[in-house]
Amino acid sequence: MAFNFNWSPLIADTERVRDMLTNALNKSPKPPIIVDDIIVNELNLGSTPPELEILEIGDLAEDRFRGIFKMSYTGDAYLTLKTRVQANPLNTYLSTKPSFASPQPLAASSSLTIPIQITLSEFRLSGFVILVFSKQKGITIVFRNDPLEKLKVSSTFDSIPFVRDYLQKTIENQLRILFMEDLPAIIHRLSLRVFSPDYQTAENQEPKKTDEEKPIDPFASPAQQPIDGDDINSSFSLETPIETYASFSQKNLVRLAALSESQRTLSLFTPSIRDTVYRAWATAIQRDDISNGTSTPTRPITLSRLQSSMSHGALSSAASQVSGVGSEATRPSLASMATGSTSTVYTLGSGAQRSRPGKKRKHRIVNLRRDKTQEGASEVASVASSYDDSASRSISGSARSSVERTGTLQSTAPTSNEREGEITTPPRSPKKTVGFSSDGQGDEKVGHHEPQRSRPHTPKSRLEPGPSHDTDPTPRASTVLPEKPARRPAVNQLPRMQSFPSRSPSPELRRSSSSDIGRSASELRLQSLVAAFSEGSSGGILEQAWMQKMASEIARKVEQERSKQRPWRPLSEDGISESAEAPPAYVS
Amino acid sequence: MLDFMDYVQTAFYRTSRWNLDNSYASLTTTSTNLLDFRIPSGIRLHVSSLSAPNFATSYTLGSRGVVDGSLSFLYTSLGLQVASRSSEVYLSSLVRGYRHLQELKQPEESHWRQLLEKGQHKDALLYGRLYLPSSTLEALYLRRISPSQLLRVNCVSDGNLPNGGSLLAVLQNDFGKYSTEYLYSSDSSLIGVRGLYNFGYDPRFPNFQPASRPPAHPWDHQNGRLSAGAEAYFSPLNKSGGISTGLRFTTLPIHTGFPYTMTLTINPLMGNLSSTYAVKAGSNLALCSRFDFNVYSYESEVVVGMELWHRKQPEPEVMWAAEKLRSGWARTDADVNGVLKARVDNHGKVGVLWECRAKELLLSLGAGVDLKKRDRMLGSVGIDISYSS
Repeated sequence: MAFNFNWSPLIADTERVRDMLTNALNKSPKPPIIVDDIIVNELNLGSTPPELEILEIGDLAEDRFRGIFKMSYTGDAYLTLKTRVQANPLNTYLSTKPSFASPQPLAASSSLTIPIQITLSEFRLSGFVILVFSKQKGITIVFRNDPLEKLKVSSTFDSIPFVRDYLQKTIENQLRILFMEDLPAIIHRLSLRVFSPDYQTAENQEPKKTDEEKPIDPFASPAQQPIDGDDINSSFSLETPIETYASFSQKNLVRLAALSESQRTLSLFTPSIRDTVYRAWATAIQRDDISNGTSTPTRPITLSRLQSSMSHGALSSAASQVSGVGSEATRPSLASMATGSTSTVYTLGSGAQRSRPGKKRKHRIVNLRRDKTQEGASEVASVASSYDDSASRSISGSARSSVERTGTLQSTAPTSNEREGEITTPPRSPKKTVGFSSDGQGDEKVGHHEPQRSRPHTPKSRLEPGPSHDTDPTPRASTVLPEKPARRPAVNQLPRMQSFPSRSPSPELRRSSSSDIGRSASELRLQSLVAAFSEGSSGGILEQAWMQKMASEIARKVEQERSKQRPWRPLSEDGISESAEAPPAYVS
Repeated sequence: MLDFMDYVQTAFYRTSRWNLDNSYASLTTTSTNLLDFRIPSGIRLHVSSLSAPNFATSYTLGSRGVVDGSLSFLYTSLGLQVASRSSEVYLSSLVRGYRHLQELKQPEESHWRQLLEKGQHKDALLYGRLYLPSSTLEALYLRRISPSQLLRVNCVSDGNLPNGGSLLAVLQNDFGKYSTEYLYSSDSSLIGVRGLYNFGYDPRFPNFQPASRPPAHPWDHQNGRLSAGAEAYFSPLNKSGGISTGLRFTTLPIHTGFPYTMTLTINPLMGNLSSTYAVKAGSNLALCSRFDFNVYSYESEVVVGMELWHRKQPEPEVMWAAEKLRSGWARTDADVNGVLKARVDNHGKVGVLWECRAKELLLSLGAGVDLKKRDRMLGSVGIDISYSS
């Protein structure tokens, strides 16, 4: 086995490293002799890479690595710091002493601050390094011992032995802290930027995403909701120049875009993915689950649906990957891959602890299922599944809409506009999840929309007084209340995505809703699928390689599982624990 | 405003006839009082009492985010006859402002002989202070060894300090014409020497009266006093040290014009120059400025400060008499309402302090403002309330 360390790209990024080092150096309380901020003036990593000796490799896979190295560095890196120091030793000395017992000199302790340039060179490092790499979590490096062996500090004060010794000592101490505590953080952050696939994919797909972002991002443009249904289809194929919004940071945009896109693409294959989302977000959505349950007839059904949806999601992604491998066309894989990775990214970013293990487990399940279906798994299969789903969805959607219509009929006139929005929603099921993720913002809207949701379900549901009900100020609420809980799970997210402006029940809206209903869901799916494919074509070698890897891995796992189901479990368990134990501490 | 315990210590110095001003350490007392006054922060309550002429206690309770406090006790072998009630203490003896230097006096051998004949021991003062949350203990020992000598030992015990604390011993000799100090600090064995020499009138030979004596040299001002001093410190452990020299010219009470004080201190090692000029512009107003300059780093600083005594208007019946008082004459202190001190420097830092008496309490209100920081202009605000009996 061989590792190829590329030393040069790191050098190119010294700008950012300098900033991080500056921050790190100024974080800890400085000794009294240093009276100003420490600024990293120059940083050169030199041309000699450190020598690494592999002592142990704990975990090795395409997307993760864990090992222990013995590192020794005798390179020509140097670092130049700039700061201001107190040149009067008496001043420094007295500043740390209690004033009561200080001699209190009249002027002998007057301060003289001198700008100083310190050059640290001739680093001699040796130590044991624990390196943990994970595609999602970046690189975590921990020094097991104090790696600093020798260091040459040359400064403006080399001629004054006291000051020189003091500086040497102080800086060595500071550096030890840096190596043990701050450097791992810096490297981790850097790696997240540079190596993390999430960031990479995000960056690659940035233009499209920003494009899609506009209509879908509930923050950015809540009023553009009506376009959403078409948008799904159009957004993928559309390639427009990058647009930056002043109010949103690029990173956030990318994240949101990744999230929304992932949901969309997932929904292509498994429309019922929303249920899965519920589960992943168990605590937040418990309410909704309960409400789900309240629709009495569906309770068992929903459960099963959950299961199926999970498997669906897994299947679809796996299938698409496989298909990508099998057939030359990379298109589906891209979409699915992007979705997979991006979704994970999102969870990482959000830092929800609960979600991570959940995700992992899901992955495992994915793998398991995949092997069963793997042979047959192909684009067709996925398409078929999507078809099924869409069909069911459309049915349900139409049913719902009809129900709603009746609801609207029952309800008084003023509420009609809200209903309109709802009606339009069902076909846009994929977006529901997105809306869900943006839960926080949508709250007020939720309040508005609940009454509508509840209405259609009047007959079925028992009263489930959720907190949201209380917010409903409208008089209708009381009448509608009993019905609410039933519909909520399904419809819940829809309204949030759309900001319902004061839309009067305009004819066009009606039309759109009706057209939506009329339009077969499968059609939608197809379109989106096509879009996904077209987008997938942009996928690079990396994705192909990744897919191949995935496929092979899947195959391997399948075999493993088949041969011995027993051992595989523990293995996976190990993996989970490992990944969980890998310290994400530096995710910022 | 002086702490009650500092007030008692000052009383001890005065009662034992020790001239605090004749020392190199107090060369810039005036400018320090006018420019470097302490601004209280947070709320601080002092309750003190001089329960007996020989014994004083003081309790402090402060709140600056966290509540802290201190207990202090003082014992002196010399009975102190000073006003201790906060309603009676003269503000002028509590608030340190422009410092009028008095004529030098010869160390009084006769007074000491009297004391010894009476069987009294040499005067001593013991003082201890315990800071409560931090468990820091301060101790002070003062002893008049001889008419011209004073031994001072300061100790601090604190677990956070290296070696658990530090000790400073100072031996001061005051011969009137000149004075010397020898210091030793247990912290890194710092050794220090300070000396001050007064040109002109020599109190040891009082026959040469200032007015009758011809000037010995051009700068021998009849109405003022020129003093020069130096200090040197060296730490054998650190192999570091520091020196400084200083000059001061101040007018004496016989000066007919407005009193003023000029000082110049130089740190030749660090290239620091500091010059101050303080003027007592009126009986109620003192102005002071200080200019610091470093010849190596070209850093400079200017501070300007003032002190304004607010006095009650005399009764209309005695107005004519009050008008006839000359500015230089000593005044009774009873009519002082309060003292306002203010300072501003070239970095935009402004400090204001108002010290007054309110019924039985002594109040000290202060605020520090940083004009350069737009977001957080108000640096520190505080009030000290003290009551003593």
